Amino acid sequence: MLAKQAIAAPAQSWKTAFLNPGLLKKASVHTILIVYTVIALFPILVILVNAFKTRKAIFNDPLAFPDASSFTLVGFTEVLERSTFDVFFFNSLIVTLLSLFFVLLFGAMAAWALTEYKFRGNLFIAILFAMGIMIPIRLGTVSILQLMVDLHLVNTLTALVLVYIAQGLPLAVYILSEFIRTIPKELKEAARCDNVSEYKIFFQIVLPLIRPALATVAVFTMIPIWNDLWFPLILAPGESTQTITLGVQQFIGQFVTDWNAVLSSLTLAIVPVLILYLIFSRQLIKGLTAGAVK
Amino acid sequence: MKSTTNRTMSQNHPEPQTGAPNNIAKPFPWHILFFLGPALLIYISISVYPLLDTLRLGLFSEDETGATFFVGLQNYGNLLFNEFWSEPFWNALKNNLKFFAIHMALQNPIGLLLAMLLSSPKLRLSGTYRTLIFMPTMLSVVIIGFVWQLLLSPLWGISEDFMYNIGLGNYFDAWLGKESTALITLSLISVWQFVGIPMMLIYAALLNIPEDLTDAAVVDGAKSRHVFWHIKLPLLLPTISMVSILTFVANFNAFELIYAVKGALAGPNFSSDIMGTLFYRTFFGFQLQQGSPTMGAAVATLMFLIILTGVMIYLFFVQRRIQRFQL
Amino acid sequence: MADVKLNHIKKSYGKVDVLHGIDLDIKHGEFVVLVGASGCGKSTLLRLIAGLEEITAGELIIDNKVVNHLDPARRGIAMVFQSYALYPHMSVFKNMAFGLKIAGQGKRAIREKVEEAARILQIDHLLDRLPRELSGGQRQRVAIGRAIVRDPNVFLFDEPLSNLDAALRVQTRVEIGKLHKDLGATIIYVTHDQVEAMTLGDKIVVMNAGRIEQCGSPLELYRYPQTQFVAGFIGSPKMNFIQGTVDQVATEYLALTLKDGAQVKAYVDTSEVQKGQQVTVGIRPEHLFEGRDLASSLTGEVKLVEHLGEVTYIYMNLADGTEVVVRGEGESEIRVGDKLEASFAPESVHVFNMNGKAMPKVRRSTEIPVDNPAIMTASQA
Repeated sequence: MLAKQAIAAPAQSWKTAFLNPGLLKKASVHTILIVYTVIALFPILVILVNAFKTRKAIFNDPLAFPDASSFTLVGFTEVLERSTFDVFFFNSLIVTLLSLFFVLLFGAMAAWALTEYKFRGNLFIAILFAMGIMIPIRLGTVSILQLMVDLHLVNTLTALVLVYIAQGLPLAVYILSEFIRTIPKELKEAARCDNVSEYKIFFQIVLPLIRPALATVAVFTMIPIWNDLWFPLILAPGESTQTITLGVQQFIGQFVTDWNAVLSSLTLAIVPVLILYLIFSRQLIKGLTAGAVK
Repeated sequence: MKSTTNRTMSQNHPEPQTGAPNNIAKPFPWHILFFLGPALLIYISISVYPLLDTLRLGLFSEDETGATFFVGLQNYGNLLFNEFWSEPFWNALKNNLKFFAIHMALQNPIGLLLAMLLSSPKLRLSGTYRTLIFMPTMLSVVIIGFVWQLLLSPLWGISEDFMYNIGLGNYFDAWLGKESTALITLSLISVWQFVGIPMMLIYAALLNIPEDLTDAAVVDGAKSRHVFWHIKLPLLLPTISMVSILTFVANFNAFELIYAVKGALAGPNFSSDIMGTLFYRTFFGFQLQQGSPTMGAAVATLMFLIILTGVMIYLFFVQRRIQRFQL
Repeated sequence: MADVKLNHIKKSYGKVDVLHGIDLDIKHGEFVVLVGASGCGKSTLLRLIAGLEEITAGELIIDNKVVNHLDPARRGIAMVFQSYALYPHMSVFKNMAFGLKIAGQGKRAIREKVEEAARILQIDHLLDRLPRELSGGQRQRVAIGRAIVRDPNVFLFDEPLSNLDAALRVQTRVEIGKLHKDLGATIIYVTHDQVEAMTLGDKIVVMNAGRIEQCGSPLELYRYPQTQFVAGFIGSPKMNFIQGTVDQVATEYLALTLKDGAQVKAYVDTSEVQKGQQVTVGIRPEHLFEGRDLASSLTGEVKLVEHLGEVTYIYMNLADGTEVVVRGEGESEIRVGDKLEASFAPESVHVFNMNGKAMPKVRRSTEIPVDNPAIMTASQA
């Protein structure tokens, strides 16, 4: 009887495959994930697609892809003519890269000092930085603006860079400290026995070793800076110092009714980020899931 | 950041090797200053000092010339009890709590569900789903705000058409424009954008649960619902509570979404006003009302206290009670 | 009676076959050890028996029932994991009670069972602790306790000692052996450690590349390995292997010339051997003796001497460069560079053909006088 069962089983298998609970479960998992992926992407896709269509097509058939009769770049030309999008983009790039560079450099140096050397006030400074992870720098805006006025830095990119360095440092110091702690003591001790200076130990041994962590910190630092509206709005709202987020916001405020222009400006703001994201998503997700942020 | 390596500074300059057996006075640790100085200088002058100064400014008031004078707790008295100030304040606080409540109610369950699905064994395309679902989280809140403003605009009608197509057309409304629905709609947009964060962090936590543990539970007779409720969920609680405090801080600090979609006035009739927009208006003024740095500072101080309270509750009650389980 | 029967069990992942048809009979109350190098499929086999993986083909019968499609919990098994897999958020008591609670047993019954198991394992004072507050050995006991309370017919152990330090490993090993006698249950135990296998098993199943190489009692495997793999796997230090050629095929024995020129006799089944055939000769280090007292001998130059106290391991190279280990006397005064002649009885010689299959040794009523290998190998641990 047992043997019979064993023989019967494979013959039935292709039939039962469709009713197989495992397969059914797999199918429903994929269904839910696909539905949610569509929910996540659809709004963005609608904007991107319609940016390339005539005003008439945008309203008549918003879900259609542009075809020969409805394709137009008029929105983009309008945006580029009526605003200085290139300047906005350039400003964002400068501010983000400069802030990023200093956050990584100063953050790594501070993390090294706090984890490696024992000195009075070490714990206090570490806690001070840790608090900055939870307490948003925005709450000090009133005084930051006053400070920038006093320093004659209002409407300069320098003001933004300074604020963003201060904003990025706490998380950078935290993540990098955790990472520096995992560097084996022997490496540093071997160097010290060879009479290598503390500066060289940091720049030539430690810094190269923490590169993976630096990449993680870079992603976490970059995104909020690029996307920020608050500080550009308050510290550098002048035409020549607007970042792309602020520029788009102001532009759309001005040309609300020009759908082509609005859609195109949004597209211009979205696409570079999307491209960068798709290139670096692996790194980002690795950083997020590595438990770097606890 | 509690433990520091127990190396004293003298050990950094190994005297025996250099053959100079004197030098009891330690040289000034210039290298520490070099490493720590720049970060500390910028962080203290641009983050710590302004925050403390804001707390101080909240105790002052100014006259027409801009000169400030000490008024004690008067600003706070006004904010909390003087109708002219207190009505917007309590309104913003109430709205902000609603904003947070909607996030909590939706973001964690959806994030948890997606993370559970993504971590199902041998799932194909798992990485692709993850990348795509996380995408909106990467974009600027301002841009997302505009995107949804367009999509929900009755003028364009794209959402209306869509709802007619799935047979719900009669339910469509200009949600963003109505006093009763504007805040809820904005909250949903925000949840839509940021659900990737709980998803990702919970997913990571799920990956960290050893397979042996669920295997052991299965051998013990647990069905998948038992495994979820008795094994996985308890082990995810630390992550979920961390996501919650991050959401709390972000929500009580939010500004861009409301500002982009509804402007500084957070309409209609302040129905979508939250602490961030109130702070901005109080500080910069709007229409007829003059902005006031000192009142702005007072609002910021209250925001600070709210956030600090939340963080403290998390650190001292939630995190302590939910032990981090070493596996 | 919870006999376990494996009928031609196969497992493949996609196109990769991991197990190629395993047949095995396990009697009630037997302690069976699955042993082999990592990747040989022993853990997979255990997981198949547990029901954690699906069986691709074949039949698994526990207690006269085909259980291929039965949930793990309904197979009457309990498993102890290598990592212990204790639920980190539950106290020791709750860890042990979890399965019973799921099964819907009453609080009273649960408490009684858990407390009894805890008493057996001497962990009754730890019941309120969390796993992270326990030492490795204590965690191990809790993991075993969790299995005991389920009162299974069959216990499955997946390398349970590999996370313990050496001293604790020996102690726990002894305790698991005692536990088996006390509980009288069937145990299937996976390990890569041949000492554990020799000391614990009533029956050892040596696995290699998804197949059973040989199955038998510890002494059976030690004395009559059927393949070169088993011969090399069981015994420590490893059996010496030397290439050789068959000179003469008699009814009772073979005469061989080893690669270094030594002439050797071997008492094996000669029915499938031809003159001139290439073979591998195996001699265990403990069957080689310093001096020329026995019939045959090997001569080489000593390269390394390890004094372990009661024995001395002498590593020497034969004329052709083959390395041979000799188990010398504890007080041996031999030194590196010395010439050593090590002699052995023809009865202790194993012969393998080029496919690694052993030519069955002739079983004689008088066995070669060897130490009990179980005790001997245990002393190595």
